[in-house]
Amino acid sequence: MTQTITIDPVTRLEGHGKITIQLNAEGEVADAHFHVTQVRGFEKFSEGRPFYEMPALTARICGICPVSHLLASAKACEAIMSVRIPHTAAQLRRMLNLAQMVQSHALSFFHLSSPDLLLGMESDPAQRHIFGVAAARPDLGRAGIALRRFGQHIIELLGTKRIHTGWVIPGGVAEPLSAAKRDEMLAMMPEAYANIGLALAAYKQIADKFQQEISVFANFPTNYLGLVNEDDSIEFTDGALRLIDTKGNLIEDGITAQRFPEVIGEAVEPYSYTKFVYYKPLGYPEGSYRVGPLARLNIVKKMGTPKADQELAEFKQIAAGPVESSFFYHHARLVEVMYGIEKIEQILADPLILDKHVRATAGVNRLDGAGQIEAPRGTLNHHYRVDDNGKITWANLVVATGHNNNAMNRGVLQAAKCYVRDGKFTEGALNRVEAVIRTFDPCLSCSTHAYGQMPLQMTLLSADGEVVDRLVR
Amino acid sequence: MTSAARCLILACGNTLRSDDGIGPLLASWAEDRWRNDSRVRILCDHQWTPELAEEVAAAETVLFIDCSLEQGPGEILLRDLSPASLKPGLVTHHIGAAELLSLAQDLYGKRPRTAQLLTIGPDSIELGEGLSEPVKQALAVAQRMLITTVQCLLNQQPD
Repeated sequence: MTQTITIDPVTRLEGHGKITIQLNAEGEVADAHFHVTQVRGFEKFSEGRPFYEMPALTARICGICPVSHLLASAKACEAIMSVRIPHTAAQLRRMLNLAQMVQSHALSFFHLSSPDLLLGMESDPAQRHIFGVAAARPDLGRAGIALRRFGQHIIELLGTKRIHTGWVIPGGVAEPLSAAKRDEMLAMMPEAYANIGLALAAYKQIADKFQQEISVFANFPTNYLGLVNEDDSIEFTDGALRLIDTKGNLIEDGITAQRFPEVIGEAVEPYSYTKFVYYKPLGYPEGSYRVGPLARLNIVKKMGTPKADQELAEFKQIAAGPVESSFFYHHARLVEVMYGIEKIEQILADPLILDKHVRATAGVNRLDGAGQIEAPRGTLNHHYRVDDNGKITWANLVVATGHNNNAMNRGVLQAAKCYVRDGKFTEGALNRVEAVIRTFDPCLSCSTHAYGQMPLQMTLLSADGEVVDRLVR
Repeated sequence: MTSAARCLILACGNTLRSDDGIGPLLASWAEDRWRNDSRVRILCDHQWTPELAEEVAAAETVLFIDCSLEQGPGEILLRDLSPASLKPGLVTHHIGAAELLSLAQDLYGKRPRTAQLLTIGPDSIELGEGLSEPVKQALAVAQRMLITTVQCLLNQQPD
C-alpha cells in the first residue's frame, strides 16, 4: 500500500503552503509536491484602474517586498508613458530597492533560517525560533534586528513610510533627498558593516556542519536567470536579464522587460496556485531555471563593490561552474547584503544625489508597457496593457517564486527521498524538507497575487491516495 | 531610530478591521496629547514584531495597547505585564507583548522596569473602517486611563 505525508502548514515562510509526499508500495518516496494554497487575483481586479494607480495598488500584494512591486510597476507605467526618468530619481530608486533587499534578506537569514542553522535541524522545535537564537547567540539576534532596521529606516527616510510608501511614482519619485537625510543614512554605515561582517563569519563557521543538507537541498543542475549590467556586474533595478545554462554558458543575454513575454512562458500544474515559469525556446519543464541570490551570483562576474567582490570570489570557489545546492542561497544572501550596504554608500556619494529634478511627466504614449527589477527573491516582471484613456485592460505579473517553482518542487522531492525512509520520518526530517523551501525564501503572497493567516502542512499519501499521516502546525 | 524613552507607548491594530483600529486611534490621540513631551515615545504598527525588542529594551517603562478578543465589547482592562516565553506558533510577523519583554531581556540584557498592557474588547474585527458603538463609548474612558497611567509611569523613580 502506498502512503502520503502532508506538512501543513510549512512554517517560517512568507505565506501559505503545504507539502505532500507520495510513497510507493515499498514505503519509498515516489513523488513530492510543494503546494501554494492561497489565491488572490490582483491581475484581474486591477483591470479598469488607471495605470498610474498600479504602483500603489500592486505594492499591497506584499508587506515584505512592496518596494519590488512599486518599482516594477512604475517602470511598466514609464514604458506606457515612454519617458526616461532623471538620473537622480534612478539612483534614489536603486537605493530604495537595495535597502529593501537588505531588510528582506536579514529577515530570511536571521528570523526564518538561523534557528535551523544555529540551533540545528534536529533541535527542539519548541526552541527553534528567533527566541532560541536570542538565547544561543544574542549578538547575532541583535545583528539581525539592526540590519532590518538599517534597511527599513532608509526606506522610511526616502519614502516617509517603512511599508507601502507612495514615494515611487510613474516618472520618478515624489520628493528629492535632503542633505540631513543623506547624512543620517551615512551615519548608519559603520554599524551595518559590522553586523554583516558578524553574520558572514558566523555562517562560514557553521556551513561545513551541513554537508548532508548541502548535498540534497535542491542540489542539481539548472539554468539561472537574473539582471546584470553591461560590465557583467550585479544589478537589481536596471540592466537586462541574462540566462545561463547548467554549466554557466550563456543561453541568452539582454532580455529587456519588453522582450520578456516573448521568451518567458508560464505553465500551470493542478496542485498549486503558483505558476511555473520557464524559458520558451527550451519548453516546459526543460526551460525551468532558478532566480534570486544564488542565481544572481552564478550569472555575474563581479558585484561591483570592493568588499562584496571579495566575498563573491570566495563564493565562486565553492564550485567550478555554477553553485548548484540551494543551501547556498543563505551564503549568497549575505554576500548581497554586503553589496547592498556598499552600493548604498556609493550612491550617497553621487554628486547629483541631492538634485531636485526627480520626476518626468507624460501621459499615455503607448498602449503596452512592461517593467522588470530584481526583488530580494528574484526577478519580477509587471506587464500592462491600457486603453486610450490609460485604463488597465490586462495585467500580468511574473514573480520570483513562480520562476523558482519547478526547482522548489524538485528540491522537496530530492530531500524527501533522503529523509523519509520506509514510510517513516522524524520531526527533524520533516523540518529539513521544509528548510529546502526556506532556502528559496519564497513569497507565497506575491506568487498568487494571502488572505488570512500564514502557514504549511505535510501529508503522507499511500499508493492508493489515502492519507497515512499528516503534520499540521 | 531607537531612542530611550521614560515611557514608551506601543500600540498595534488595523484601522481597516473595525474595532481592531482602537490601538492606532489611541496612539494617534496620544501623539497629539504628548506632542511636546520628549519623555513619551509613541509607536504604532499593524502587529508587534521581534524588531521592537530593541525599542522595548531601551525604554524605562512601557505601556502596550491592543484590542483583546477575550474581553466583552467596550470592556477596558489595564494590567501589569511580566516577560513570557514564546507560545507555540509563528513569530515571523507578530509576537505578543509579554514575549517582547522576554526577547528584550534575552537580546539586550534589559527591559523596562514597569510594563503594563491596556486592552479594549472589540464588538467586531471584520473588514471595515470605524469603531462599533460600544467601543466608541469606551474611547473617552480609555483616553482618561491612558493619561493617568502615563502620568504614573513618568512619576516612577528609577531603582
